[in-house]
Amino acid sequence: MAIYETLNSDKLTVVLDIGTVYTKFGFAGEFAPRNIMKSTVRCKRTDRLRRIWDYESPEDLYDLLVEFIHVIYFKYAILSPKDKPIIIVESLLCPTLFRETLAKVLFSHFEISMMLCLPSHLVSLASMAVDTALVVDVGYKEAVVIPICHGLPMLQAWQALPLGAQAIHNKVRQLLGSNNTGIQNLGEDVMEDIKVRCCFVTEKSRALQFASEKPSIQFCPDVKYPIGGTESIIVSGKVREKAFEILYEEDNDHLCLSTMILDAILQVDINLRQLLAENIFLIGGTAMTAGFKARLKEELEGQLENERYGKLHLKKLAFHSPPCKENYAAWLGGAIYGATELLNMRAVTKEIYFKEKRLPDWIHLSETSRNL
Amino acid sequence: MSYITGPDVVKYACTCGLLKPISYLYFCRYCTQLRCSFCVCHEVDSNFCGKCSENIPSSEARSKKNRCGNCYICPSCEQELSPRVASSKASAEGDEKVAARKMYYLFCQFCRWSSRDVGIPDQSSVTGGWPERENVHANSLHELLDLDKAIVLAQKQQQEKDKKKQRGKFISYTDRTGVTAAALRKRIGLPADLTHPLLKSKPKEPEPMVARTEVEKLPDDIFTKPINLMEITTINQRLLQPEAQPTTVDKLFPVHKQLSIKRTLRCRTCEHNVSKPEYNPSSVKFKIQLFAYYHVPEVRIVTVEPLRAGKPCELILKFTNPTQHQTTISFEELNLVECSEIEENKFSELVQNLSIQDKQPLSLSNQSSGSLSLSSRSPSIVVKPRTITKSTNCTVEIPTSSFILLPRDDAAEYDDSGDTHSIQDDPKLVKWRKSNKAFVRLTVTPDEGLPLNTEVNCGFVMQHLYTNTISGQLEKKEPQKYDHKVKVFLTLGVTVGSE
Repeated sequence: MAIYETLNSDKLTVVLDIGTVYTKFGFAGEFAPRNIMKSTVRCKRTDRLRRIWDYESPEDLYDLLVEFIHVIYFKYAILSPKDKPIIIVESLLCPTLFRETLAKVLFSHFEISMMLCLPSHLVSLASMAVDTALVVDVGYKEAVVIPICHGLPMLQAWQALPLGAQAIHNKVRQLLGSNNTGIQNLGEDVMEDIKVRCCFVTEKSRALQFASEKPSIQFCPDVKYPIGGTESIIVSGKVREKAFEILYEEDNDHLCLSTMILDAILQVDINLRQLLAENIFLIGGTAMTAGFKARLKEELEGQLENERYGKLHLKKLAFHSPPCKENYAAWLGGAIYGATELLNMRAVTKEIYFKEKRLPDWIHLSETSRNL
Repeated sequence: MSYITGPDVVKYACTCGLLKPISYLYFCRYCTQLRCSFCVCHEVDSNFCGKCSENIPSSEARSKKNRCGNCYICPSCEQELSPRVASSKASAEGDEKVAARKMYYLFCQFCRWSSRDVGIPDQSSVTGGWPERENVHANSLHELLDLDKAIVLAQKQQQEKDKKKQRGKFISYTDRTGVTAAALRKRIGLPADLTHPLLKSKPKEPEPMVARTEVEKLPDDIFTKPINLMEITTINQRLLQPEAQPTTVDKLFPVHKQLSIKRTLRCRTCEHNVSKPEYNPSSVKFKIQLFAYYHVPEVRIVTVEPLRAGKPCELILKFTNPTQHQTTISFEELNLVECSEIEENKFSELVQNLSIQDKQPLSLSNQSSGSLSLSSRSPSIVVKPRTITKSTNCTVEIPTSSFILLPRDDAAEYDDSGDTHSIQDDPKLVKWRKSNKAFVRLTVTPDEGLPLNTEVNCGFVMQHLYTNTISGQLEKKEPQKYDHKVKVFLTLGVTVGSE
């Protein structure tokens, strides 16, 4: 069935979700991305890998994106981009400079025929056919919470904190440094590998024990982690269990991942609060860690007992488990949306783009007032 | 090769404003302009598998998800897997049977991973039959997708209907006369209780998934059991199989090898190919290869005197004529500011011309709506050239006289009779020449006040006479000659102190 469809449809539509570290690439109508690759480009001048989000200027970003999209099309998609549609899954909080530059690259350099931008929080619900949920995206740079109510993102209730893989990697490095030498020289990819292979989110009761002065329990066993074949470092049980604690350590404003979620619920209409609490949906690579969901639930229940969230009166918390891996949940939504007629109905075509010279955006007054 | 062409001390300015060594540039004979990989249009020419060197038609590549059906890569280290004949343990049982069917398994020669590690049964044929894994959620997602498609389609039809209705509003008098649609229907004799067609064909809503209150807990033994890193996959191994993302090594399955492509490069201005490879995957030759290296004289630095700030020094350059036609080379001063202004004017003219031409094909493609546009290429968009950002800190004394470069003659390499050319050269300019090469002396002066150990860059405009053979062949006329100007940038080295 699937084979015939791809043969029949005259145009393959590329679906891209450009993340800070990993880019998810695939085609519309498929249920898993073809590739998940690093969002990096080899700089020709210095011969070093550069992340495309670490751009220095708009021109720099343009060059990085040209190189990056070129690799995607000619190495992975094996497709001439000219006169083909593309679907971009992006965060609603994506910087205007980035999306405008991306549009410029796609339309004027690669000459694509149309481009459809989909908000990642909203479309990630497509794979579950749910229209009201509290979407928590824990990615690399930050965790972003946006409630979706009856298919509409509640933008006034958005919450974001720099609690993501980056913070965890830094924490791992800091914890490792206490009983190993030479940690500072190791790259972030090593930190990521240690995090992925050794660390997990521990239970709340254990975390409280470790926080007390004389913990009565032992950390989980240490792991000998090889570095470069000959050397090895010890990843202690403390590192393994405490790396993710940073997500629940309240900062100076008493904010952490759990308060963020409850704050977002507080911001929406009183009638929707219970419904949102019963439809919590975690996406993003960090949310795939073992024990993440269980701990988040414990933390949320703990916060609800505080006076701060007493007025919420939430009786039940429920979590969705999507029919895919969390790290490409948003991409999958884009692929489902892209397989429908929506592409032809809503996409920005080449003609419109060159007339308007910019993409429609929710922050722009002309678009929002048109809808009213 | 890089020791011949590199280091990149001589760079040519491409028409798009990027500086590149001549080996990276193309020369469009139709526009007589330099092009580079940044400003040409790339297209996929043919797909092939890099391991079995087999051409795969694009429809087949599409159905196999851009991967080779027969070749696999190692899920552990991403190197290619090779099939191996299974060791003949079974041969003890019956010799005749074993000879008839050999068994194969996949083996990685780099990390010694084998398909037996994960319990894939050995296969009787070399090429295929390896079990494929299916996405467990595929069925439910497929249903969901079909329903979603139907919903959006219904929405679209509704929209179109609404549009039609609006148009019809002004013609219909039924509301004013009181003759309603239902009444009319009755009069004609149609069944009255006809449901609204949209309501009838209303698509089924997909069943929403229900969130669960219980969540997966951490396994109890995680706090006590030591882990074996060898059994846990790395993030790269996981992401190599995006669908399954296995966390333990016993779930690693061989991955089909990604196909490679050959690319065609097309000039954006005139839509002619500047590079087209041969179809055969194992051939490295080209059908069309308009590399600048074969059309534009090559400049190389031979020697440069020690560079001192404010002191003139001698620079010897070698010019090579790669074409079959004699050419004349002259120099002009490099003026970056003026150049960019002129080019901008030129570009705006070009865009105006283009926009007039473009109008027709664009409106045509709108009418044909997709079906025709596949075959007919829509014209390319010309990207505005950027200004050259490279700055020079050294002046070149531009020689007033020009010199001649003889055509390339492959036999001249073997001609030991010496230089028998009869060209009157300006002895101040040309130091020495042999066949199609000339050694030219220039005087350069690094800017006053340059600190020690600063890189000295200079530049000039090289004008060469380009003989175009294409138009000549077509109209059976003499080959046309153009004066082609190229901006050349030289990195001479660093400044040194006084003697």
